[in-house]
Amino acid sequence: MLELRQEGLFCPAGGFFIDPRGKVERAVITHAHSDHGRPGHDSYLCSETCENLLKIRIGGDALIESLPFGEKIKIGGAFVSFHPAGHILGSAQIRVEVNGQIWVVSGDYKPQADQTCEPFELVKCHGYISECTFGLPVYRWLPEQTIHHEINTWWSQNAQDERVSLLFAYSLGKAQRVLAGLDETLGEIFVHSAVFPFLEHYRKAGARIPDVQKIERGKEYDYQKAIVIAPPAVEDSTWTRKFRNAKKGFASGWMAIRGARRRRNLDRGFVLSDHADWDGLLNVIKGTGAEEVKVTHGNGDALTRYLQEDGINCSVLAGAGLRGEEEE
Amino acid sequence: MKKFASLFHDLDGMTKTNDRIDRLVSYFREADPEDSIWVCWFLAGNRIKGAIKTGQIRAFVSEKVNLPIWLVEECHDRVGDLAETISLLAGSMGSARSLGLNQTIRKFLLPLRGMDSDDRKDLLFEVWDHLAMEEVLPFHKLLTGGFRMGVSKGNLCKALARVGGVEPAVIAQRLAGSWTCDDLSMQDLLNPADNHHESINRPYPFCLASPLQEKADTLGQLADWQVEWKWDGIRAQLLTTGGGSGMLWSRGEESIEESFPEILECIPHLPSGVCLDGEILAWGREGLRSFSRLQKRLGRKQPGPSVQKKEPVRFQAYDLLRIDGEDLRALPMSERREQLEKLIQSLPNYLPLGISPLVHEKDWASLENRRKESRERGVEGFMLKRMDSKYESGRVKGCWYKWKVDPYVADMVVVSAQLGHGKRANLYSDYSLAVWNENGELVTVAKAYSGLSNEEIEKVDRFVRKNITGKFGPVRGVKPKLVLEIAFEGAQASGRHKSGVALRFPRINRWRKDKKIEEADTLETIRGYAGMNETTFTIEGVKTDSDGNLLLF
Repeated sequence: MLELRQEGLFCPAGGFFIDPRGKVERAVITHAHSDHGRPGHDSYLCSETCENLLKIRIGGDALIESLPFGEKIKIGGAFVSFHPAGHILGSAQIRVEVNGQIWVVSGDYKPQADQTCEPFELVKCHGYISECTFGLPVYRWLPEQTIHHEINTWWSQNAQDERVSLLFAYSLGKAQRVLAGLDETLGEIFVHSAVFPFLEHYRKAGARIPDVQKIERGKEYDYQKAIVIAPPAVEDSTWTRKFRNAKKGFASGWMAIRGARRRRNLDRGFVLSDHADWDGLLNVIKGTGAEEVKVTHGNGDALTRYLQEDGINCSVLAGAGLRGEEEE
Repeated sequence: MKKFASLFHDLDGMTKTNDRIDRLVSYFREADPEDSIWVCWFLAGNRIKGAIKTGQIRAFVSEKVNLPIWLVEECHDRVGDLAETISLLAGSMGSARSLGLNQTIRKFLLPLRGMDSDDRKDLLFEVWDHLAMEEVLPFHKLLTGGFRMGVSKGNLCKALARVGGVEPAVIAQRLAGSWTCDDLSMQDLLNPADNHHESINRPYPFCLASPLQEKADTLGQLADWQVEWKWDGIRAQLLTTGGGSGMLWSRGEESIEESFPEILECIPHLPSGVCLDGEILAWGREGLRSFSRLQKRLGRKQPGPSVQKKEPVRFQAYDLLRIDGEDLRALPMSERREQLEKLIQSLPNYLPLGISPLVHEKDWASLENRRKESRERGVEGFMLKRMDSKYESGRVKGCWYKWKVDPYVADMVVVSAQLGHGKRANLYSDYSLAVWNENGELVTVAKAYSGLSNEEIEKVDRFVRKNITGKFGPVRGVKPKLVLEIAFEGAQASGRHKSGVALRFPRINRWRKDKKIEEADTLETIRGYAGMNETTFTIEGVKTDSDGNLLLF
């Protein structure tokens, strides 16, 4: 019903690919991160809230159709519907039904509460293809309020010490989630230009995004007491050099492990992830009631063995190439 | 435990030395002295030994959180650090225990040492239920040993000196050697009065040399420098404490007199209140022997007469730091040397106690020429000590330099890898390195884990993860592909590696991306460096040069 081809995961009955790597005619996209929604396909289908974000990423000329969450359409011999994955705004699990057999492709997901996107929906199915970026029990997330509080405390301390707070967070999803938790009374909020274009769509969808100042090339700003949100890609660039005196933090699930933070020479790591943690993975996978489970990327071996020992028919979907690490 | 936990996390987040010192000062000012002394004890490099074994604590945590043991091991592998792994897995949601650090250690850590497995488990389960979240990692760091937090002993001394208004050197001396929190209090440690009596039982902090990185002639007149050979042995201080007794302290500040009873026999011949700085060397009738011979004496407590006879040692003195209880460290090197020579000359010459001879040359160029003799002599190059230098605590630039011979280099193939520690905790950054033997097989000769840039380490890590050929405990076999240029100080016969050779101080010079594995070096080359290709060497009598230096080999 789903098979792995050179270009990615393919549904023969519907003639479409899900989050394909290679160029294809018909791509069904789980979410707008660049390792899932790539440019260059002939046509796209995604969730309604995903559409505008995807356009920013792959260009406005692409042929994109969208579908509200929960609405079923028929593509060839397959019924397809999108169900919230709770990863970022518009992120979807894709439910595919052929002859009464139901498979769900999770994309990236998190069952944990996140005020900036649609809450995760558990979908019953026969087969579940799950991400497992954080597939080890050392990854367990605290509630986001706790992390937001940590970030605000850090910011406020830095402001007191007259240091700029430079917080790295992926430009789509994580940055908005961080912004939504910031206490605006502490000081001015700046964002890198890569973060900015997504904000209006988050606001439109109802997320509480505070007023921010976009940092534009060649302009001077007063960063006193400010927090600056920037994508981690600029961490070692000249852009970052203007914040010489800044305290640097990074918001990511990878920060759960000290080595990851210390290696980057960061002052602080905030364990804020948009993926399921260990318990989240187990609850979801078991909750779907799936008879067959396949896991992609991350530490698939450990999760697979653990589930197998628990009597669940689970295996690693080798070579699916659905990597989520860049965008975590 | 709360103040300590917050100290721990603050230090962990700091990247600058001065920030760490400031933070320690504020901790010592506000913390209970009974807690502070433990922090000093740990930061001085001590650890609670025998509280728990890795396998046992992994088994306990596996039971506690109901995860299979293999998964706990997998987690340990990913995280790299045992304390952190246990903390992440057992991490409790308990409310802060009001116990202080001292009480926590005495109630929950020290008792573990004598317990049987069941009691240990019960105690740890109790701890895991009660520790507050921020206390979990600091607790396990203490439990599993390492609490360094990027604070060197020298910086600890600086912080304490600021708190107590005492010279860092005095603090360093009080922290030196082995002590427990039962016999040293914060009050003793910070006592402004320099207790004369206490000092003669302790070694001084060692004066360390910096590597000479500029050209030697930038150091000015050669006449301003005292030149000695750089010995390849174990740095130690020999102390007499009166009444015919004394001590031998290694640079790691362990007392090692039990391992070298013949050196202790020198003590009755020395005046009391003496502290000699020098090197323990393997030394037969023919003179200096290689470090590998000395290794046969290392770690051997109370060696019997036959070992003492077969593997004799000697203390090669090069500095006199104290005599008749008087601290000479502030005197210029040249004066200390004069007193040292006088002292050694007065001793009977059958004692295994010698003096490191001086090397005299007319200028830097001829000295550089003499340096070429180093390998043949079995030494590592020269030590350059400023004639007017004091005996400093630790490494102070401009006083002492080590001018080492250039290392050997060879190209080697990475054949397996292991996760690193600390900053590299979840990166494959420790490599086993192999060269080609006569049968065209790659055989390991060394392990190395330093020398690559962070970026390179991450690249190698990615390569390793994609090219794992097998798992052997924590070690991952890797497809032979990467060639690294390895620098090392020497080679010697060893059973540790399959090749029968082991390298001294191997480290990575650079990544030879331009080389294929076929171009890596051969075992024969390495064996050549170890002198293992020649069958025997014979030594006829003792040869000396014009300065009275023994010529070796």
